Amino acid sequence: MTESNRAQHSDAVTTAWQFTEQVPHGRDLGMQVVSVNGNQVCMRLTPQPWMFAEEDTQEICTSVLYSLADSAGGLAVFAGALELMPIATLDLRMDYLRPAIGDRALLAVATCRHLTDEVAFIHCDILSESDSALLATANATFMRNTQGQRFQAGGRKKEGA
Amino acid sequence: MSTTGDSAQPISGPTESGKECSDWQALLERIPYARHLGLEVQRDDVGLVVHMPCREALIGNFMLPALHGGVLGALIELTARVAAQSQDTDKRCPRILDSHINYLRSAQARSTFASAEIVRQGRRSSLVRVTCWQGDKRKPIASGQVQLLLPTMAAKEADLHEQ
Repeated sequence: MTESNRAQHSDAVTTAWQFTEQVPHGRDLGMQVVSVNGNQVCMRLTPQPWMFAEEDTQEICTSVLYSLADSAGGLAVFAGALELMPIATLDLRMDYLRPAIGDRALLAVATCRHLTDEVAFIHCDILSESDSALLATANATFMRNTQGQRFQAGGRKKEGA
Repeated sequence: MSTTGDSAQPISGPTESGKECSDWQALLERIPYARHLGLEVQRDDVGLVVHMPCREALIGNFMLPALHGGVLGALIELTARVAAQSQDTDKRCPRILDSHINYLRSAQARSTFASAEIVRQGRRSSLVRVTCWQGDKRKPIASGQVQLLLPTMAAKEADLHEQ
């Protein structure tokens, strides 16, 4: 299941894959890229007790699933576009169908549903690895080619104001 | 490097607002993931604010650098949860049903703040709107809506039958 197929990919997807695995927040949560097949990405996360939503239950905080969906969605943009460019999440909607129990690994399967020059539409399912139960679904819109516009020049001037 | 947002001070003391602040802090501290993120409750001139200090583990793009979108998602969801729970007379622990977050500006690698507005607190569910900002509160970097489910007696009984 976790057999990596990184070697088979185009330079853009390989670079985006490596970039995804180096993201500090992704490393903090222990996210791994499992595979990229066409416009579909699979990522995996092994829960830790500090990710729980409650001290006395074994339930993983929904926000951990949210982060996993955002990361997998971002990589799916590159899997769909086959081209490297800065991207930014415009919006993300999560539906939490079932509680995620802490002793089971999470899988995120993100698909690039549609691409335009400016926007990528992504769908992501979060599943429990052991029984494939659907835990959450996400729909996200990513802006493509954000460099130099709102995501670099924007706001920097205010630093220290 | 003082900014409007960064100047919010933690409040403690016997005042009513101080009690509300410590109630929120107590609810946050019961959430292991909120402790991992280092979330802390402060009070600004309008009301309670959840502060997320910046550290390397929260970065999503190290080239810019910028916070990870999921980190803002967590700040919004956890702020909504604490706001809904503190409003509930029985302090029931809400379950997050869904959340929809819009990203408005780049999230720089610096302190981030969130405030909550209860759109509707019902008997079974609660809808909370959360706004996040960094230096300037008038320039939000993200806003989200979180729908939460409050456990009812019927749901609790069903849980007991399962066990």
